Amino acid sequence: MARVDESMSSELRLELEEVLIHEYWLLDNNRLEQWLALICEDVRYWAPVRENLTLDEECLEQTDLLTHFDEDKVTLGLRVARLRTGSAHAEEPPSRTRHFVSNVKVLEAVSSLEVVVDSNFSVFRSRPGLEEHWFVGGRTDYWLKEKNQWFLKNRFIKFDHDVIENITVFV
Amino acid sequence: MDNAPDFSSLVDVENCTVSPIAFSSEAVYQAELEKIFSRSWLYLGHTSQIAKANDYLTTFMGAEPVIIVRQSSGEIKAFLNSCRHRGMRLCRRDHGNKKLFSCPYHGWTYDEKGDLKGVPQLDTAYHNELDRSAWGLIPVSRVETFEGMIFGNFDMDAVSLVEYLGDMAWYLELVLKRSKAGMEAFPGCHRWRLGGNWKLPAEQFGGDNYHTGALHRSMSEIGLGPKGDYRGDNPWVRDFEVKCINGHGWINFDVGEDEVPPEQARFFAQLREEAKETLTPKQADLVLCAQVGTVFPNMSIISFFGFTSIRVWHPLSAKEMLVHSYGLVEKNAPQSVRELTRKAMGLTFSPSGIFEQDDGVAWGDIARFQGGPIRSKHPFNYQMGKGHGKRMEDKPGLIGTCSTEIGVFGLYEKWQELMSQ
Repeated sequence: MARVDESMSSELRLELEEVLIHEYWLLDNNRLEQWLALICEDVRYWAPVRENLTLDEECLEQTDLLTHFDEDKVTLGLRVARLRTGSAHAEEPPSRTRHFVSNVKVLEAVSSLEVVVDSNFSVFRSRPGLEEHWFVGGRTDYWLKEKNQWFLKNRFIKFDHDVIENITVFV
Repeated sequence: MDNAPDFSSLVDVENCTVSPIAFSSEAVYQAELEKIFSRSWLYLGHTSQIAKANDYLTTFMGAEPVIIVRQSSGEIKAFLNSCRHRGMRLCRRDHGNKKLFSCPYHGWTYDEKGDLKGVPQLDTAYHNELDRSAWGLIPVSRVETFEGMIFGNFDMDAVSLVEYLGDMAWYLELVLKRSKAGMEAFPGCHRWRLGGNWKLPAEQFGGDNYHTGALHRSMSEIGLGPKGDYRGDNPWVRDFEVKCINGHGWINFDVGEDEVPPEQARFFAQLREEAKETLTPKQADLVLCAQVGTVFPNMSIISFFGFTSIRVWHPLSAKEMLVHSYGLVEKNAPQSVRELTRKAMGLTFSPSGIFEQDDGVAWGDIARFQGGPIRSKHPFNYQMGKGHGKRMEDKPGLIGTCSTEIGVFGLYEKWQELMSQ
């Protein structure tokens, strides 16, 4: 992929930032089905486990490394369907979540319709039983624009935790 | 507030009850570190994780950080991951390959045998008066393996690992020995923090099939997992629970014909054939049922949907634990099967697992709201199936149906025995 020139990068950054903010608005407002509609059928939504190693040694893209998520549209759909059963006890009553996205940076673009974008996230979760947690990390996304709408094709999630909490949120 | 309770009264062996204090008291937890974790066989890792000379892996035994090291000779040793000088962890990485372990703090350096080899300024600061032979790393007294699983024990006088596992070995083989090639660990480890006493997941994996119908109802509702209450169609034969010796327990549940992709179905068929050679005929009959078990005190195994996870419930306090979960897969599994296996484990049993999420909430909720003086006077009920276990010709241990709590309560009988000594 080509590097974007500066003017295109700035426009795309604004455009993608809006998409990312909209995505988190959907998640914070329990519009999970609408969130799924932003996702390509052949998406890869994945989050390898982190290891305490040197930067040279930690290889997040190595084959077979265990993953917190390695989802396609079907399994993301299963996760959403489960939350809708009323008996997914980890989310009954549902957590209060607040999703934050920042540091949006367009890394690469083939055209104004195909973009690789980095962003940072933090997600706050409060749920019954005195539980309050944060999930923090970064993402590298691949978004495609079709018929004037952006769709998520690939999301590579890097959680920054050594030891993580039970993950009931999408990031 | 947290006066040391009389440990021998917490489990009522006649009535099959356990006091909530066993799950909430810090005094009990401190005693467990001494009486349980300092003398039981504890899971350390898989031989494939330290395959080459000088490979090492860091983990915990109870509250103690440890390093497991493959020696140049091929033997496996384990030490406390703690410098003898001030106690800093020598290795802060998860794994690697090293001939010498040097403490980041002052530089004391040990070899693969744990001997203290290097001390900065030995001459000018210690005046050559330090007896290095007396300051080697604190060893894990015993390290033994079973079918690739490495265990350690701080008790030099403990029975052998195989004797300790006893009849549980027969069940562990159903997973670990079902192929000719044997298993290896996926790289990486799911590490997460959970509220809850470590005994809650240990007992659940060791024989609580009962919770699945209620806690995991959402899974049946979306078409994953059996309908109804998971009692099984073939009690005693294919759907059963086992109380093994020494507090170990096992659940065997037939999930029926595998609804898996064709390449995985082909591999399962291959494993069933291989198992006829690697296992006894009675064992081979049970291969690839859903299988879940606990090796007392805190190692569990779950083999389900094609994946196998070995997890250790490391206690952090009476009310909190650190979970390590490793994935195992047959060495000869095709790449497509390895991928399906890894994904199934992440989807179902992992920090984000759609089964495991709900378990975590149950254990955390129990822990956070235990410890009040009123609730503490009223014990938990473990009477399900009491007196209904039976000995069978075709498999070892005391067998019950799905569900029974004879295996679960076996963990507390062993716990009680050790805590009373």
